[in-house]
Amino acid sequence: MKKGMKQPEKAIKLYRDDNAYMQMLLDMLAADTSEEGEINRFVIKAVMERTNDVLQCVEKDEPFIASWYPYSAEVLTAMDVTWWMFAQTAFLGIESPHVLDDIDGAERLLGSDFCTVLRLLLYYVEADMSPKPSALVALLHPCDGTVIAHQAIKHGKWADVPIFGCDPPYWDNERAIEYYANEMRRMVGFISEITDKKLDIDRLREVCQQSNKEYALWQEYNELRRAIPCPHDWTLGPPQCFAMATYYYVGKPQGEAWFKKLIANAEKRVKAGVSGVAGGERIRVLWFDILPLMWQFDIQPWMEAEWGVNLVMNMFGFTPYTPIDTKNEKTMFHDIAKRSLNDFPMVRQARGVADHFLTDIERIVKDYSIDCVIWPGHMGHKDGSANIGMMREKCREIGVPFLYIGLDLFDKRYTSPDEVKDRLSNFFSIHGLGQKK
Amino acid sequence: MQTSLRSKVLDTFIEATQTILNPELKKWIDNGGKVTGFFCSYGPEEIITAAGMVPIRIRASGSTSTELADAYLSSINCSFCRHAFNMGLSGKYDFLEGVVWLNNCDHVRRIYDNWKRKVKNPLYHMMSLPKMTTDVQVEWFHDELVIFKEALEKHLGIKITNNKLWEAIKTHNETRQLLRQLYELRKKENPPITGAESLAVVVASTAMPRAEFNQKMKELLKDLKGAEGIKNYKARLMLVGSILDNPNYIKVIEDIGGLVVTDSLCFGTRLFWRDVNEKDKDPLKALAKYYIQEKPACPRMFGEQPNRSKFIKDMVKDFKVDGVIGLRMVMCDLWTGEFFMLDKDLKADGVPFLKLEREYAVVGAGQLRTRAQAFMESIGGRR
Repeated sequence: MKKGMKQPEKAIKLYRDDNAYMQMLLDMLAADTSEEGEINRFVIKAVMERTNDVLQCVEKDEPFIASWYPYSAEVLTAMDVTWWMFAQTAFLGIESPHVLDDIDGAERLLGSDFCTVLRLLLYYVEADMSPKPSALVALLHPCDGTVIAHQAIKHGKWADVPIFGCDPPYWDNERAIEYYANEMRRMVGFISEITDKKLDIDRLREVCQQSNKEYALWQEYNELRRAIPCPHDWTLGPPQCFAMATYYYVGKPQGEAWFKKLIANAEKRVKAGVSGVAGGERIRVLWFDILPLMWQFDIQPWMEAEWGVNLVMNMFGFTPYTPIDTKNEKTMFHDIAKRSLNDFPMVRQARGVADHFLTDIERIVKDYSIDCVIWPGHMGHKDGSANIGMMREKCREIGVPFLYIGLDLFDKRYTSPDEVKDRLSNFFSIHGLGQKK
Repeated sequence: MQTSLRSKVLDTFIEATQTILNPELKKWIDNGGKVTGFFCSYGPEEIITAAGMVPIRIRASGSTSTELADAYLSSINCSFCRHAFNMGLSGKYDFLEGVVWLNNCDHVRRIYDNWKRKVKNPLYHMMSLPKMTTDVQVEWFHDELVIFKEALEKHLGIKITNNKLWEAIKTHNETRQLLRQLYELRKKENPPITGAESLAVVVASTAMPRAEFNQKMKELLKDLKGAEGIKNYKARLMLVGSILDNPNYIKVIEDIGGLVVTDSLCFGTRLFWRDVNEKDKDPLKALAKYYIQEKPACPRMFGEQPNRSKFIKDMVKDFKVDGVIGLRMVMCDLWTGEFFMLDKDLKADGVPFLKLEREYAVVGAGQLRTRAQAFMESIGGRR
C-alpha cells in the first residue's frame, strides 16, 4: 500500500481553516429553521465531511486519491477509497479574500488565457496549498487544458505522486464505450495497487443501485423545476444536486435522504405557486455553462431584482443520465463508462462532436419553457466558444434569443460585473424580456 | 539573412508556401487528380496517397481576414483556425475532394463541426486520436485507420490494397528521409540553407504530389551540396511550437542574425524525424504504431512529456543550438502548459529559452525583432 505523502503544512492549515469557516457558516445558518435552510446546511456538512476525510487520511497516514467527478465515483465508493476533487480548493476558495492574489500567482505560471480553474489547480499544487495525495487520477478530457495541466502537475511538486489517466475516445458510440470501460477497469487496477483495496462486484452492485436512486430523484426534482414559476432559484437545487449525486454522496443513503427533502420542499412550493425568485419570475434562462458562482453576490441579486431572472436550468443541473444496469460486471462497467463519457456535464458537451451542445439546448428550452439562452463563454471554454455560431443558429431555429457574453467565471477583472450587467440589460431590453406587468 | 544559393527548385518550394493552390497542385487537378486536405501532423496522409489522391495539410496562407469565420467562432479561438475556416467559408478550399480532421486540439476539432455544416466538400472525415501512447491506444488508432480507409474506399468506389498502402508508405518515408538529409546539412557550422528556406521546403512537402516533391527535393539536395555556407550569424537557434507555416516569420529573426538550425514544430521535425516501419506485416498496424508511439509526440499526448523534452534536448546537442525559442499561438492551452515544463527542463540544462506568443498571420514584426534581438544579446557571449 502506498502510504500518505509528506504533506505541505500550508495546505493542511488551509483545509482546516476552510472547515472552520464552514462551521462558522453553519452556526450562522442555524437560526434559519426553514426547510430550505436545512437543505443548504446538509450540503455544507457534506463538504466538511469530505474535507475531514482527507484530513483524517493525512493524520493517520492512510492513502487518499485525487480524482474528478467524470470518473463515476461509484467505483471508488464501492472500493471504500477516500478521494476528493482536488479542484475543490479552487471552487470553494472562489469567494475567499486571497483568490485574486492566487489568480495572479497562477498567471505567473500559465499566462492569462489558460482556464482560470486549471491555472489555480496547478498554482495550489505549486504553492503547497493542496494536500498531496497518494495518487492522482488525471482527467484527460473534455479540454486541452485538463490534459496539459495534469502533465504540468506531475512535472512539478507532485512529481513523486503516481499518476493514471483513462484515455477518452472522441466518439460516443458502443465501440467508444467498451474502450472506455476497459480504461476504467485499468483505473481500478491502479487504485487497488495504491490503496490495497479490491473492488467487490456485489458491493459495486449495491452502490450502483443506490446511486440509481439518487439519479432518479434528481430527475424527479428537475421535473419540478419545469413548473412556472420555478420553485427554486439557481442557488438552490441544480448545483447541490450535481454535487450530491456525482461527488459527495455517490451511492450513499445520505444522498437519497437529501434528494427526498429537496423534492418535498419543491413540491410544496410548486403546489403553492411560490417562485424561487423573491420578486417573481419574469425571465426563465438557460445558463449553458458552469454556474456563475463567483458572481453570486454581484449578478444574482441584481438579475432577480431588476429583471426577475431565474436561471432555471444550466449545464450542470441538467440530467441526461440513464440508470446503471446492475446485472453483472460487464453491464455495470459499460454503463459507468457511458455515464463518464456521454452523460456528465461539460464532458458530454465539450469532449466530442458539438451536436450535444445543440440537442441539449433544444431539449432544455422545450422542457423548461426557457425564454432565452445565455452562453457566458467562460474564457477557458475554447471548444464551446467555437460553437457560438451553431448555438445561435439553433436558438434562432427554435425561436429563443441567444446571448454570448465572454467572461471569466472566476475573475471579475476579465469582464467587469458592470459590463456584464450592461450586456444583459441590453439583451433583455432588445428582446422585450422581463418587462414588469 | 540569405544564402548565396540560387536554386530553381527552392523558388518553387517558396512559391508553394505562399498560396494554397500552387502550380504543382493545380497541374495535378487539371489532369483529373483529386486532393484531400487534413488538419494535423497526425493525419495519416499515406492512406490518402494510397487512395490515389494528393494529401495536403490545411493552411491559411495568404489569408488576410477572419470576418466570415468570426460569425461562428469567438476571439478566444486560435487565429490559425479562424483564418483556415475563413478560407473554407470563402470557397478557397472548394477544390478539395475531402477534408480530414483529428481531435488534436479544442480549436481544430470544432472547425470540423463548423466546416461540415458550412463548407461544401464531397467528403468529411473525423478521426479519434488517442491521448495516450500505450499498445491499447495503438490498437484503437489502428481501428480508426481501418474505418478511414473504408470510408475512402466507399466514397471513391475503389479498393485500397495492402500493396498500395506499402507503396504510399515508401513514398512518404522517402519524403521523410530526404527532409532529414536537409536537416543533416543544417548541423554544419556553416549551413547552406536558412531556417526560413528550410521551413518553405517542409511546407512544400505537405502541399504537392509527394513523388514530384521527392524528385524536386533530390535536385535541391544536389544544389545544396555545392552551395556556400552561411557564416555571418550571431546565434544558432531552435524553434519549438505548433503550427508555423510562414517563412517570413523566421526571416524576421534571421534578418537580425539568428540562424534557425532546427525545430520541433508541426511543420518541422515532428513530421519526419522517424519513418514508418516498412518491415511490419500489416501496413495499417505499422501506421498506427508510427503515429501513436514512434513519431515525436505533441503535448496533447499524456505521459510523453519526458520524451518530448528529451527530443528537444537531443536536438540542442546535435545541432549545437545556442538558444531555444518557444512559439505559442495565442489561446493555445497545450503549448502554454508545455512551455511551463520545458522552461524548467531547459533551465536545468542551462539552455537559454525565450517564450514568444504569436498570431497565425505575421503581425508585430517589430516586437518580434526586439525580443529576438534581446534574447540573442543575452546569449551573445557564445559565438
